[in-house]
Amino acid sequence: MRASSSSLFLRLMAAISAVLLAGAALLAYAASNYAQRAAENAYDRLLVGAAEQIRETLRIEDGAITTDIPVSAFVALSLSRQERIFYRVVGPGGETLTGYDDLPAARAGTPGDDLWDATYRDTAVRIATLRQFMAGAPQPGWATVVVAHTTASRAALVGDLTLRALLLLGIMSVIALAGVAAAARFALSPLHRISAALAARQPNDLTPLDVEAPPEISGLVQAINRFIARLSDRMEDLRHIIDDAAHQIRTPVTALSAQVDLLQVETSPERRQHQIERIAARTAQIGRLANQLLSQTLVSHRARSATPERLDLRDVLRQAAADAVPAALDRDIAVNFDLPEDPVWIDGDPVTLREALRNIIDNAIQHGARSRLRLSVRREAGTIVAEVADDGPGIAEQHWPMVTRRFWRAAGDGEGFGLGLAIAADVARAHGARLEFARLTSGDFAVRMVFGKDAA
Amino acid sequence: MRWLVALLFMLAGAPAALAETFEFPSILDNPARLRIEGSGDIEAMGPLIRDFQSLNPQVAITYVDTLTNDLFARLTAACDTGKDLPDLVFSSSVDHMVKLANDGCAGAHDSRETQRLPAHARWRDEVFGFTFEPAVIVYNRNLLPPEDVPHTRDELADLLRRDSARLDGKVGTYDIAQSGIGYLFAFFDAQESSSFGRLIEAFGRARVKLFCCTGELLEEIEQGRILIGYNLLGSYAYARMKAGAPIGIVLPRDYTLVLSRAAFVPAAAPNRAAGEAFLDYLLSLRGQQVVLRQSFFFAQGAPLPDGIDAARAESQTGITRPIPIGPDLLAVSDRQKRQRLLRVWNDSLGLH
Repeated sequence: MRASSSSLFLRLMAAISAVLLAGAALLAYAASNYAQRAAENAYDRLLVGAAEQIRETLRIEDGAITTDIPVSAFVALSLSRQERIFYRVVGPGGETLTGYDDLPAARAGTPGDDLWDATYRDTAVRIATLRQFMAGAPQPGWATVVVAHTTASRAALVGDLTLRALLLLGIMSVIALAGVAAAARFALSPLHRISAALAARQPNDLTPLDVEAPPEISGLVQAINRFIARLSDRMEDLRHIIDDAAHQIRTPVTALSAQVDLLQVETSPERRQHQIERIAARTAQIGRLANQLLSQTLVSHRARSATPERLDLRDVLRQAAADAVPAALDRDIAVNFDLPEDPVWIDGDPVTLREALRNIIDNAIQHGARSRLRLSVRREAGTIVAEVADDGPGIAEQHWPMVTRRFWRAAGDGEGFGLGLAIAADVARAHGARLEFARLTSGDFAVRMVFGKDAA
Repeated sequence: MRWLVALLFMLAGAPAALAETFEFPSILDNPARLRIEGSGDIEAMGPLIRDFQSLNPQVAITYVDTLTNDLFARLTAACDTGKDLPDLVFSSSVDHMVKLANDGCAGAHDSRETQRLPAHARWRDEVFGFTFEPAVIVYNRNLLPPEDVPHTRDELADLLRRDSARLDGKVGTYDIAQSGIGYLFAFFDAQESSSFGRLIEAFGRARVKLFCCTGELLEEIEQGRILIGYNLLGSYAYARMKAGAPIGIVLPRDYTLVLSRAAFVPAAAPNRAAGEAFLDYLLSLRGQQVVLRQSFFFAQGAPLPDGIDAARAESQTGITRPIPIGPDLLAVSDRQKRQRLLRVWNDSLGLH
């Protein structure tokens, strides 16, 4: 198990926090925009209201334009007790009727009513300009009412509104995060249940998990259960193998022990010699048996777990022969190879294939070949065939279906075939191939491994 | 220190502006300098300055007493250049103070003392009201029988109509064209009541006498040449009555305008710290005690001094109209507004 990846909970929280944060940032931007607009609108309304009140007092008295600045105009503006207020009333000829002479009356290019920002007396001000046509004046024309105030309160209101909005956003985000955290914990709780169920198991309990799981992780539970089933199968195989091994080893070892006992009481040198030869033969048999048992364990293990590789079947056969041929040299048997010039590709596990072919060759050397052994690989009608042929008596045709069973032995046969052909058959099956027997026209006996398809 | 105070009377250079300068030297060498310019009699300001000096002996104080309009003109010019400014200014013409602050002349000052002020007595943390001075009717006790004493503006107008022969030329008030405080009271009278028009018509018929200053008018009433004075500063009148003058004081019962003399520390003052210290002293409990007992005799929330003819205490709050220190006063300073009020005034009084 790799522990490096961070917890699901943290991943969920990180992803959702990122989304929330992005959303909050967006909302904060919108809120500050909105606060800006709201504050501007509120104060602009006051400003324009004050200008309106002054404009309403514009009169023509004795041929002159007059105003009567109402106190109420300034009272409304002085609601914010911090602002300085400037005003000016300008006649049609540009002459100042009252107020601050140097307050700008309009900005370039906008002759009508207007609201604008400017700097006056080194201070940022907001200016409202309203106009009224004075028809009865000696020189008819537009009179302009200008009211301005400083902008500190606006900024303060914007700040205040934004702060409140941000506070709400912050609280909302915290609540959302807490909710998400609780939801994530709740959603992940089946995983905790599964791990708790696994942790609580007895070491030898290989029954499937029975845990309630939502659809999203029922796949995981199924996978775990498949895994447990495989493990259970393997344990079962192993138990069979151990049972077999115990059974198969116990009998010859008991026999060996009895022979050694006999040897101790035997006095005749001839019989003694005979006895020793039998013990030697028995020991060799036990050795072979042990090899075969190990080999079968290996094959049975790899058949389920090994990843297929691309192999040249010629190489596999050569290596298998190299393993087995020292035994042939003892018997003075001629070994011939009959291999194509080009590689013969198949997909398979090199270890088990080699083991299987070695067992076939071993079998031929132990039980068959009198003087020659021919090892060949060839392509034949869309199949690939690895063949081991010898000039021995071979296996009687009526026994062919049985010899691939484990520890089958023909009646009256002392040694039996052991596991060799059973292993070869198992490996063939695992590779989608089959094990065949044949009596060649030359009278030789052949064991073949036939692969269904040319991998090249 | 009090015995060290020297009063120096000086004639200011400008011929139009008559200002009196009073020096209050420090007993210490190398004193800090504090220059105060304002409109307030030395009798009122002296006790405050001396008490401040007893707390801060290291400060040498110069006090210049100026007429409000002269003060306004001088400060308007000084604030433009930022030179030759005093460290503290105050004026009974609060509209002038507000206008100057609105034009950016005043510096902000925020302290425990300023925070205590009610909202109508401070603006922008710059302008602060430190007195509570009602506008009163003053009469000569010897010459005006008690049954004739007017308690409201309507009663005053009625009296003038009824007794026009006896009161002809014997009623006095401020010349609002000259007196800032007179103009301010008249402005708020015009705002407050519809009876003001009736009253100044009656003034016109009675050939009212106009005065530049409270002191002169009080002197005339004391001497009996004027029987009734209208809209006088209650603080000055009470000081005169306390000194034994045969005058009576009426707080009008229809409504009583209350002026709070406004002070600020100019932003470009050479010694702002000293100006702010004096301002804090004025607003402090100790300063307010001096204001109440020795200088202006009235204070917000304090009981009225003895011998004042006024409505019962519980109805005082309903008829008290403080003149708020705030931008509303910009309308008071408006030149067309001023011309309009002066025109009505002059028309009613027959002055042309």
